[in-house]
Amino acid sequence: MTGEVAPGGKPSPRADLVWSLVWIAVGAAIFYGGFAMDRLDRQHINPYTAPGLVPALLGVAIALMGVCLLARSVRAGGLGAASPPTGGHTNFPRLFLALALCLAYAAGLVGRGPPFWLATFLFVFVAIVALQWGERRGRGEVGKGILVAALCAAGTAAAVTLVFQELFLVRLP
Amino acid sequence: MLDGLVLFGRSIASFADPVTLGLIALASFAGIVIGALPGLTATMGVALMTTLTLKMPPSTALLVLVCVYVGAIYGGSRSAILLNIPGTPANAAACLDGYVLAQQGQAGKAIGISTTGSVMGTLIGMFFLAIATPALGEVALKFGAYEFFWLALFGVIISGNLTGGDPLKGWLAGFLGLFIAQVGQDGIHAYERFAFGNRDLAGGFQLIPALVGAFGFAEVLSVLAERMSRPRIREFASHLPRLGDVLKYWRTIIRSGIIGTFIGVVPGVGEDVASWSSYAAARRASKERELFGKGSVEGLMAAETGDNACVPGAMIPVLALAVPGSAPAAVLMAAMIIHGVQPGPLIMVQNPQFVYDIVAMMLFATLGIFVFGIALVRPLLKVLQIPRDIIMPIVFVLCVIGSYAIAQRLFDVWTMLVFGVIGFVLRRYAYPMAPFVLGIVLGDILDKSLRRGLVLSDGDLTPFLTRPISALMFAICVVSILMNFAAVRHAASRVWSTAASWRRAA
Repeated sequence: MTGEVAPGGKPSPRADLVWSLVWIAVGAAIFYGGFAMDRLDRQHINPYTAPGLVPALLGVAIALMGVCLLARSVRAGGLGAASPPTGGHTNFPRLFLALALCLAYAAGLVGRGPPFWLATFLFVFVAIVALQWGERRGRGEVGKGILVAALCAAGTAAAVTLVFQELFLVRLP
Repeated sequence: MLDGLVLFGRSIASFADPVTLGLIALASFAGIVIGALPGLTATMGVALMTTLTLKMPPSTALLVLVCVYVGAIYGGSRSAILLNIPGTPANAAACLDGYVLAQQGQAGKAIGISTTGSVMGTLIGMFFLAIATPALGEVALKFGAYEFFWLALFGVIISGNLTGGDPLKGWLAGFLGLFIAQVGQDGIHAYERFAFGNRDLAGGFQLIPALVGAFGFAEVLSVLAERMSRPRIREFASHLPRLGDVLKYWRTIIRSGIIGTFIGVVPGVGEDVASWSSYAAARRASKERELFGKGSVEGLMAAETGDNACVPGAMIPVLALAVPGSAPAAVLMAAMIIHGVQPGPLIMVQNPQFVYDIVAMMLFATLGIFVFGIALVRPLLKVLQIPRDIIMPIVFVLCVIGSYAIAQRLFDVWTMLVFGVIGFVLRRYAYPMAPFVLGIVLGDILDKSLRRGLVLSDGDLTPFLTRPISALMFAICVVSILMNFAAVRHAASRVWSTAASWRRAA
């Protein structure tokens, strides 16, 4: 299945140590949530069907596995000096740019005022121009890049709007 | 047996009209393109296409999705051979020999071999789908709450054990998925769990937006986070698949087909494990094992037969148990439920025709990949050369609208975003997605089965451990966990070797 191997390479013992603490905290919070959940005593339900039973057990299991991960990462030297981060092939500026663009579109534009086709056009256009900016500028093709981005954005906005709104009768956000 | 053939014939006839055949062609082609483009996976393709098939009749919609699924697993071999980048993770093993063959100027031959392997693999898997589903359905009718509880846990534990390289992380991901399925109204008392007064959360997380996020948005981020140069592909002549290859490697094809199908049946394991296992088994049994990794036709054939055989295999537990054998099968199962088809033990009683409809869909999808795999070599090369900076923003638009369109609520878009970020972060730290997805799918079964079982036994845990099928699944779960401890492994191998020496002495 997709991405079964961490794209950034093998995580360090220090990273596993931090994650183990996260898992222990998550497990404990889930356990507490399940344990403190209403047991519906007033409705005289069978206590074995209490809604919090399974979440509480899952919380315990997650916390225990977190402890195992903690022990393993400590044995592997997770408490020692942090090794320099290995990002693999990750280009962090591109990652943050992509994340910002996607969040701005999905959480900031869609359903917040501008019509869907306009939000989609703006997102695709800006995303393509921004992501290809360095490469296009290096080759002296900025104008061509903007034209390609505009065509792709217009095509996507028109196709998605037509297909979903007119064909599938979806009330677009 | 004869009844099955009659039902199968009826299914074939029901799909044999021009419009449906046109849809099969389109869906198969779309699947191949999705699979061929690195970064677009079968799970993402099936999830996004689910939205596009909402208004279709159920059988047509599922036919389209099956064609996309089969096409994507096959299409991934194209970029594996030509670019040394597996189009889907299922095709990673195909890189080893396929790319070497392409480097040797035999890309056309490699494509022919992968087409032959994929077609044969799907056909073998289809055969087992037709005969094993009714049999498994029969067994599943004996399942009660105890068995379903263990089945859900068994799926997450086995999936965590076999996918990714770290079982502990696989189980953590799986248990997180199980917990996520607990959010919203519980299945017995309709009590709102972890909703914090939010009306949308009280409805729980829908599977399709969650999967689109975990496999779509997370993949968009992963691809865009890596700078990749535009691929260059050498010119090559296309080759038709040859009957000689099938005859020469018939043992490898059958072995890989059986391995692929069997791995497909195991919950949540999926095509990539099927492909690697088939490849490893072929290398062990081969007379020309020194060629593996250096352009072995047999190796490529084994890998591609195994992964495509896994597709029908993964549908067997979906139909018989309502437990998906792979991530794309999980999406297909969700699509079945959206379209009003309830898979599970009762399907052979209530709707046996549907099982054979799925078998017939596999057959049509196989025809689709065979025709397009051979006929559209050149257009696919052009598709492979489209920069991902252009494709990924468009894919993200589809992720947004795909999540929104099912229930037409913005909460599902938020769900997609949250699961995308969670999926991206988890994958970067080597937490596999397959058990996570399986956990989300199986969480409800686990919850209801445990509580019902406890009520039936009045809190006594004995039936969970003593009923035959429960005991077997419990034993497999325990052994799967214990075998990850070096001390247990060493002890087991010592016992094994002692037993072997006693046998020899006797």
